[in-house]
Amino acid sequence: MAAQQLARGQMARRYNTRRGSGSAGRETVWGYLFIAPQMLGFLVFVIGPLLAVFVFSTQDRNLLTGSVKTVGLNNYLTILTNDALFTKAVTNSLVFTTLLVPVNIALALFLAVLLAQKLAGVMIFRVLFFSPVVTSAVAWAVVWRFMLQGEQGTLNQILSIIGVKGPNWLREPGWAMLSVVGTLVLKNVGLNMVILLAAITNIPGEYREAAMVDGANRIQVFRSITLPLLAPTLLFVTVITVIGSLRVFDHINLMTEGGPANATFVLVYYIYYTAFLGFKTGYASALAAILFGIALVLTALQFALRGRASQP
Amino acid sequence: MQKVRFLKFVLALLLVATTFGATHHAQAQNAVKLRFTVWIGPGAAMDMLKGIAADYNKKTPNVTVQFDTIPFNDYTTKLTLQLAGSNAPDGGWILENTAPQFIASGVLTELTPTLTAGADYDFNDFEKPALGLWQTGNKVYALPFSTSPFLIIYNADMFAAAGLATPAEQVTKGEWTWAALATAAKKIAETQKVYGLESVDANVYKPGGFWTTMTPIIRAYGGDAWDANNTCLLTSKNSVDAIKFYHDMVFKDKSAVPPGENADFFTGKSAMTIGQISRLTKLDSATFKWGIAPLPKGPAGDGATTGQAALGVFTNGKNVQTTLDFLAFMTNKDNSAKMAQFFPSARKTILSSDAFLKSNQRLKPEQMQLVVEGISKGRVLPSHPNFSAISLSTNAIFDELWTANADVAAVMEKVCKVVDPLLKQ
Repeated sequence: MAAQQLARGQMARRYNTRRGSGSAGRETVWGYLFIAPQMLGFLVFVIGPLLAVFVFSTQDRNLLTGSVKTVGLNNYLTILTNDALFTKAVTNSLVFTTLLVPVNIALALFLAVLLAQKLAGVMIFRVLFFSPVVTSAVAWAVVWRFMLQGEQGTLNQILSIIGVKGPNWLREPGWAMLSVVGTLVLKNVGLNMVILLAAITNIPGEYREAAMVDGANRIQVFRSITLPLLAPTLLFVTVITVIGSLRVFDHINLMTEGGPANATFVLVYYIYYTAFLGFKTGYASALAAILFGIALVLTALQFALRGRASQP
Repeated sequence: MQKVRFLKFVLALLLVATTFGATHHAQAQNAVKLRFTVWIGPGAAMDMLKGIAADYNKKTPNVTVQFDTIPFNDYTTKLTLQLAGSNAPDGGWILENTAPQFIASGVLTELTPTLTAGADYDFNDFEKPALGLWQTGNKVYALPFSTSPFLIIYNADMFAAAGLATPAEQVTKGEWTWAALATAAKKIAETQKVYGLESVDANVYKPGGFWTTMTPIIRAYGGDAWDANNTCLLTSKNSVDAIKFYHDMVFKDKSAVPPGENADFFTGKSAMTIGQISRLTKLDSATFKWGIAPLPKGPAGDGATTGQAALGVFTNGKNVQTTLDFLAFMTNKDNSAKMAQFFPSARKTILSSDAFLKSNQRLKPEQMQLVVEGISKGRVLPSHPNFSAISLSTNAIFDELWTANADVAAVMEKVCKVVDPLLKQ
C-alpha cells in the first residue's frame, strides 16, 4: 500500500514535472514566435538606426559623395564650442518650449475644468476642441500659413475690419515664433484637455462635497482638492508636451523654414538642414545624439518627480 | 496532431509562394525599367517626354522608362537622398547651380564615349559654350537639354486697363528698361489692386531663391554674384544699387509681391513675372491675354540670363549602359527638336532652324526669336562646387534684406563675409 502510494506520488511528480517543463517550454517558444515579427521590426527600424546615429556621429560623412572618415568626438567638440548656429537652435528650442508648454497646459486645464461640467451639449465642445488633434499636421500648417499672410491673410483681413493693422505674422522675427507657437497650441491642446478631463472626472465627488460642506468655495476646492489630485496627471502631460515641443519640425518647415533670419531655427530643423541640405550626415547625427541626451534627461526627470509626487 | 497539420499547411504555402516569386523574378529579369527624375509634373511637357519614352520602347521592346516627379523646390535634396539610398534613379535632370558639385562628387557617369560613338548623333552640333558647365576637360558628365533664357511674361489685359504700352511694344520703341518696368508695375498696382511684379516662381524670399530673381537685375546694373577669381561681388556699388532697386519696388512702391504674400501671376494676381518658356504651359487655361518680352535693360545694358538643366546618368543606377543609350536617343536631333518647344536645345541646327521658331504652339515665331536671342546673349546663373554651402549660409542673411528698413549695403557686406571663404574652398 505504502509502496503503491509512493509509486503514485512519484508518477504524479514525474507527470507534473514532465507536463510543467514540456507545455511551459512550448508555450514560451510560441510566445517568442508571435512577438518575433514585431521585435524584428523594432530592432531593424528603431534600435538599429539609433545605434547607427551614434556611430555616424563619430564620422565625417557626405550624403552626396558617400565619403566616410572617422573623426572621433570632433563633431561634438565643434558643436559645443564652435557652432553659433547650434547655440541659436538650442536657444530657439528653449524659447519655443518655454512659450508653448505653459500656455498649452494652462489652456488644456481651463478647458478640461469647463468641459467637466454636466451641461447640455458639452460633448459637442469636447469634439470641437479635440478635432485639431486628429487633423493632418501638414494640412494644418499649410492652411495657417495661408491665413497668416501679411496683407491678404484671413487673420489680418478680420483684424482690418475692426481697424487693427496686423503684422506680417510669419515674416517678422518676433511674431514668427509666436505664430508657430500659437498654431501648435491650437493643434495639440485638445489632447492634453482630454487627458486632464479624464483625470478630473475620476476624482471622487465626495471630496469636493466634503470641502464645500466645510465652507470652501469653488476656487478653494479647485486649489486645495482638484489640483493636488491632478498633480501626477499634470506632471505627465507637462513632460510629454515638453518632449513633443523639442521634436517640432513639420510646422517649422512648412510655415517658416527656420526663418525669418533664423528666428524659428530650432534644433530638429538644424538636424534636417545639416543632413539633407548641407549633406553632412555625420555632423547631423551628432546633433541628433545631443537632442537624444536632452530628451533622456527630461524623461529621467519625469520618473524622479513622479516617484516623489506619488509618495504620501 | 492538429498543430502538426497546421505547420505543414503553412510550410506548403511558403513553398508555393517562393516558387511563384522565383519564376516571376526570372521573367522580370529580362525586362528593364529605367527610372528618370524630373521636376515637372503632369502636363504637355511630361506627355512629350512620355512620347519619347514610348518611341524608345518601340525600338528596344524590353526597356520601359518611367519619369518620376520631384518638386522643384526640393529637387536637389530629394535626388541626393535617392542617390544615397539603395534605389537610386538611373538618370535625371540636374540644375545648373549644382552642376560643379554633382560632377565633383562622382555621381555622374561620363557621357563622352556614348555621345561621340555615332555619326548620326552629331555631337559637334552642340554649342560648346553651352557644355561649359557640364564638363571637366574634354569629359562631358551631363548633357544640357534646356538652355532657357529668363523673360518677362506679362498680363496684356492689365497693361491695357492701365493705359500703358505693353513690354513688347516698349521693346520695339527701345524704351524697355528696369526703370520702365518699375513705373508700369507701380501704376498697375495702384490702379488695379494687384501686384505689378512677381519673382521667379515666387521664390525670391525662400531659401535659395535670391539668386534666380536677383541675378538678372544685378547683372543689368553691372554687378554680379562673384567673379572668375571667386571673389564675392555683391558688395559692389552696382550690385547694391540693383538690389536696392528691387527693394524699393517691394517696400516703397509696393508694386512687387512682398514677403509672406501669395500673388500668383498665372492666376491673374500679378501683372508680370520673370520666367522661362517652360512655365507658359501654366497659361493654357488663363482667362487673360498675355505676352513675353526680353529682360529689361539696366544702367549697364543687357542682363540677359539663362537657366540650364542637363540630363545625367547616375553611376549608382542599376542600368548604366541602357540609360546611356536612352539618353543618346532622347537627345538625338529628332527628339531634341520635339523637346525644343518647352526646353530650348543647345543644338546649333535646331536653334537656327525655322522649325524651332514654329515649334511652340503657344508662341509666334517672332516671340520664339526672343528665346533664340536670349540664349545667344545670356549668361548662365551663378554656380560653384560649394554652392550648397553658399546657399545655406546666406539664407538667413538674405532674410534681413527683406524688411522695410533694411540697410542693403550692410547686409551684402555680411553676405560676402560668409561667401568669400566658401568660394575659395
